[in-house]
Amino acid sequence: MLFNSIDFLIFLPIVFLLYWFIFCKKIQIQNLFILSASYIFYGLWDWRFLFLILASTIIDFFVGQSIYTSDSKKKRKIWLRISVLFNIGLLGFFKYYNFFIESWVDFISILGYDLKSTWTLQIILPIGISFYTFQTMSYSLDIYYKRLTPTTNFISFATFVSFFPQLVAGPIERASNLLSQITSKRVFNYVQCTDGLKLILWGLFKKIVIADSIAPIVDDIFMNYTEYSASTLVLGVSLFSFQVYGDFSGYSDIAIGTAKLFGIELMSNFKFPNFSRNVAEYWQRWHISLSTWFRHYVYIPLGGSRVSKLKSVRNIIIIFLISGFWHGANWTFIIWGAIHAILYIPVFLMGRNRIYMNTVVAENRVFPSVIEILQILLTFLLVTFSRVFFRSQSITDAFGFLQQLYTNFSYEAYHHPSGYRMIDYFILLGLFILYEFRIRKDERAPFKFKSKTIRFIAYTLVILGMLLFFDDSIDRSFIYFQF
Amino acid sequence: MKKLIIKSTIYFFLILITLESLVRVFYLGKDTPTRFLDEYKVEKWVPNQNGFSVTGNRRQNFSEYHINTSGFNSYREFTPTKDKVELALVGDSFIEGFHQHYYNSIGKKIEKNLPKIEVYEYGYAGYDFADQMHLVNSYKNKFDLIDHVILGIKFSNDLTRGEYQVVKNRLALESPINKLLKKSKLIVYCKSIGVLDPPQKLVQRIINLIKPKRKIIPLDDIEVLRIKKENEKKYLENFKSLVSKYNFDKKRFTLLLDSRITNPIFLSYLQQNNFKYIDFSTYFKDSNHPTTLIYDKHWNNHGRELISQAIIDYLTQHIQ
Repeated sequence: MLFNSIDFLIFLPIVFLLYWFIFCKKIQIQNLFILSASYIFYGLWDWRFLFLILASTIIDFFVGQSIYTSDSKKKRKIWLRISVLFNIGLLGFFKYYNFFIESWVDFISILGYDLKSTWTLQIILPIGISFYTFQTMSYSLDIYYKRLTPTTNFISFATFVSFFPQLVAGPIERASNLLSQITSKRVFNYVQCTDGLKLILWGLFKKIVIADSIAPIVDDIFMNYTEYSASTLVLGVSLFSFQVYGDFSGYSDIAIGTAKLFGIELMSNFKFPNFSRNVAEYWQRWHISLSTWFRHYVYIPLGGSRVSKLKSVRNIIIIFLISGFWHGANWTFIIWGAIHAILYIPVFLMGRNRIYMNTVVAENRVFPSVIEILQILLTFLLVTFSRVFFRSQSITDAFGFLQQLYTNFSYEAYHHPSGYRMIDYFILLGLFILYEFRIRKDERAPFKFKSKTIRFIAYTLVILGMLLFFDDSIDRSFIYFQF
Repeated sequence: MKKLIIKSTIYFFLILITLESLVRVFYLGKDTPTRFLDEYKVEKWVPNQNGFSVTGNRRQNFSEYHINTSGFNSYREFTPTKDKVELALVGDSFIEGFHQHYYNSIGKKIEKNLPKIEVYEYGYAGYDFADQMHLVNSYKNKFDLIDHVILGIKFSNDLTRGEYQVVKNRLALESPINKLLKKSKLIVYCKSIGVLDPPQKLVQRIINLIKPKRKIIPLDDIEVLRIKKENEKKYLENFKSLVSKYNFDKKRFTLLLDSRITNPIFLSYLQQNNFKYIDFSTYFKDSNHPTTLIYDKHWNNHGRELISQAIIDYLTQHIQ
């Protein structure tokens, strides 16, 4: 079930009302209800893969308890390995099996042997597998590192794994945040609910108006890049930056907003990454739940930045390569990760990777300084460049795109594939950037205006925007579902 | 919770009212003229209506229409006499031309080039050949005074029936509930851009769930071909039946068609039986510019120019 579908528009109010009116007496019943709703939510896409979620849930529930009750470190390690192997095994089979087989065949052919790939399988990628496997793994890891006491309540744990607002595309929650809320009594909170509704509205705007409306342009340019001049290719990849941001951050906003309706606070996943002043700040603002996951469970266990510079650099490279690989079974994502490692390392070596940790651009000012604008533009340019690999179907396409950029270095006016006015999209993006800049200090309050009238105008304009750019003919699924 | 429900409801209605106003202020929703069935059971628009036809989410196509006293979208009244030279264009929405300013219609373009001719545009969305022949026959006195009658025809669409009957589905659009819904420009706008499609599809999905499923047997290629041939035969028979019933005047009546989408058997039938026709396919084929609108397949201004040119060329070549 998609967040931006009529099904969800009906599903959500029903679940919301039943949750607060009928099943609110006991926390156990409330959790059982939300678990059932989550399974319905997921099962409507493909019920067969519910068994995978259930298997992952059962394994990690018992592994968590076993780790906790094991007295020797060796036993604890064995149990942890079972959890990691099972979850990585699921991912490996459903997401990476064909990639490994094909890469192996390619490698053999480079060595001069002609090996026919007969081992590849027709595997459907279960939606959300990268997200919930990481979430369940984090549970076992936290227990292993003694940061968490396992729950003895299976229903609560199953609800933590499959909580529908964040089941299919995150934010990837840690048990210390989400599970503790699931096991505690939730009380209806008016402000939390209205904040949730506002976030849902803003998320839908980002998805429908920003991401979906420019998707046909991006698709056209990337599909026919050999026919376009450099100016069009730059336009295509720049628009893709906004598309993927609108798509994924829109999804995250809807997820966080929906969770709020049920009295649950999820972690922020995006904090206006397009206003980052360097690549390090970008990674503190983009897909935060994944970055945090890697930092906690891979980077820090490897030694993080507390080891020698050389080892730290190694750790950074590992993190970015894994992060790239997490996104998809394609060399394009690995190169995308490698580019980010290359961009991040100089910032790290100069000691500038944490300088913007707790600040936003134009912190106490209305306008950013010229230097800040240049920094933002440079960061956007670098990140956007890396997206050529993120968006291309194959390495050949990505390099072909870059070659075309270099060899056909000219300006040419671009026309929308369906003949629509391009100026509409430029005005839209301009206004969107300005508005995001206006609200840049709080990603959870997109309609923070003192005046009720202005707030009302903002709601109306956002809905009007959705109508003005609504297109029923395009694919409305979210980009990150494929990961 | 009570507060949330009350405030959400108030906000919901306030937003709807504001959106309704915005849609009206920016003229995002189209006007739809009222249709009716006259004394001859000819379906047409209620005379003397004016409005704007709007296409696209962001008013990408915006044009004014004017329904004349005869009940058709035209800049002029239809007053044929024996002394003047008149041309009637009869057809569906392509001739009706709500997607163009009524002063920039095909008829107007012809008149600019052939100033001595008055062009009467009898276009009405959804008219097939039976509708057209019934109209011509019902207003025989008027049409007898018109020197040339051009009837637009699409073989696969316009010949599905062999005799005229009132199309109830179209008239159902004038039902009280539809009339009421049409009063909200926001609903009209949402419907035109497809916002209301998902709820409608959902209702359909629910109905399909409740209804017992019928087995759909996929047709093989031979069967598909057989049905196609049967249909073509039926369409030709329908054409024969209509021209004989309504005394198709071969001298004055000319068909307007695109040979690229017309069955060759039908074309050879027309040739063998001395039916005159204007084939505009070559004009469209040779065009370097798009001939249709972005949002639908109706002719754009360039397309209309080409159609008018095809008619002008035909008139100047064949008629003194």
